[in-house]
Amino acid sequence: MNAQRILRLFCRGTLLVIFALGLFAGSFTHYSYAHQFRELPNTAPSAAHLLGTDGLGRDLFTRIVYGTRVSLLLAPAAALLATILAAVLGGIAGLSGGWLEKIILASTDLSMSLPLLFVLIALRALLPLDVSPILSVVATFVVLGLLGWPASLRVVWAAAKHLRDSDHILLAQALGYRRSQILLRQVIPCLRPIFLAQFWISIPLFILTEATLSMLGLGVMEPLPSWGNLLRGSEDFSAIAANPWRLVPLVVLVLTVICFQFVFQSSEELA
Amino acid sequence: MTQWISKLAQRLLLLAALAIVGALLCATMVRFAPGYGVDERDLDFRFSQASRDAIRNEQKLNGGIVRYYGSYFAGLVHGNLGTSTFLQRPIAGLLKERAPLTARAVVFGLATAWMAASALSLLTIRFQTWMLEYSATAMTGLLIALPTAVVALLCLYLRAPVFLGIAVITLPKLFRYQYNILAQAHAQPFVLAARARGVSSNRILFRHVIPVAWQPLMALLGISASMALGAAIPMEALSDSPGVGQLAWLAAINRDLPLLTSITLFVTLLTIGANFLAGALQEGRS
Repeated sequence: MNAQRILRLFCRGTLLVIFALGLFAGSFTHYSYAHQFRELPNTAPSAAHLLGTDGLGRDLFTRIVYGTRVSLLLAPAAALLATILAAVLGGIAGLSGGWLEKIILASTDLSMSLPLLFVLIALRALLPLDVSPILSVVATFVVLGLLGWPASLRVVWAAAKHLRDSDHILLAQALGYRRSQILLRQVIPCLRPIFLAQFWISIPLFILTEATLSMLGLGVMEPLPSWGNLLRGSEDFSAIAANPWRLVPLVVLVLTVICFQFVFQSSEELA
Repeated sequence: MTQWISKLAQRLLLLAALAIVGALLCATMVRFAPGYGVDERDLDFRFSQASRDAIRNEQKLNGGIVRYYGSYFAGLVHGNLGTSTFLQRPIAGLLKERAPLTARAVVFGLATAWMAASALSLLTIRFQTWMLEYSATAMTGLLIALPTAVVALLCLYLRAPVFLGIAVITLPKLFRYQYNILAQAHAQPFVLAARARGVSSNRILFRHVIPVAWQPLMALLGISASMALGAAIPMEALSDSPGVGQLAWLAAINRDLPLLTSITLFVTLLTIGANFLAGALQEGRS
């Protein structure tokens, strides 16, 4: 077993643990993420509060665990949405060719040249001020999913175009298979590793973008925690210096993104 | 030459079409946003009923959709982007005031990032030692794994100028793209043939690899401008630098849609312009 394989196994294991932590958040902590221990603001780690409390007296470990659920469950959902959009549009462009291909590719180039963060904050600001925290989470990730497809589309398009001219598709056509049969039995199975790779690549990207949006106050709304809004407090450097455990959300986020990078490297190789 | 001019004209036409589509989208976003057409003065009970009726009448007069789009485009043609609802100032003036600061930071940031990424990728390709490759990959991998707002905070903590923050945010992605392009060019059979014939590594790099990689590297110019402009938002917002990035953030926080959409349109045209320039350079070279 070589070092790279061991590293990938370690990354998969770490991701599994972090996912389990978010999924079964209620089993790891008995506090609510919004409960305020008003007599205990900014306390150090203790047996009762594993990572201490924040400025409002909320248990930091509980908030990280629930924040993991929000970030790690919704980023894959947004990645799925972006991958489906890229698969459908890229597949149509690659397999059909002609003017439809040109239109789809031109709109992809346009979308790729837009600075994502500017468009994201413009769309996010369209929402009314009084949205509930749950709606703010859903809106943030839906917008991410709707805007995150262009790079994946290019990859899917290239693969679909290559497939269109391949011998086995030509043979299937010559044997009289229907278009739907060719699509379901030949095209989709061949493109599946590419869809999978694009899905894995998008997840860390969406996690990071959500974190930046939430740090700027335009992502997930309080009191619902996410890795991004947990990092909002890190602007106060003196508080961080005095309570270094406040950086735990950042460590978890960076570790997760790095693990995703290693895992998706193997998915890319597969594709 | 004639072909090149025709392609250039096509691209210019496309740029103009995109500007019109972008303006239309911006106008639509403002027109259909929640709260459009609601005047704060309508809720102010210091105004008499007659004054409030006059305000409502004025809203009705301006309310027709065709009239709205017409006046928006007429304003754009005359350089009038409307008025910021949050700052109560003309948007064109705000952009004129803040754009030079952001432009300077983005240009210096991009130049720094390009120089650092090029040096790093060329060194990695030239020497091909595992130590150099792994350190460069680990450093850029760690920087990519950090949210841009965290990098901005780190730069703020280290009292680094805004342009340096933009460079640090853009560098890792730029390095990865550049490295992949150069590595692909370096793996070509003619490079292997040159090595077999005993051509020096420097000569291979500068005579065989870079000329092949030149075109895709030029295409990166447009993408990197988009990345740098995106990085300007968290950098300026968190370091309180009065540029366009901070203005966009303030507009988003205060739900100032006319200002936000105008900034997005302005930045979009800038990035498309940068892509256009990169494309023209690429075609000129080929």
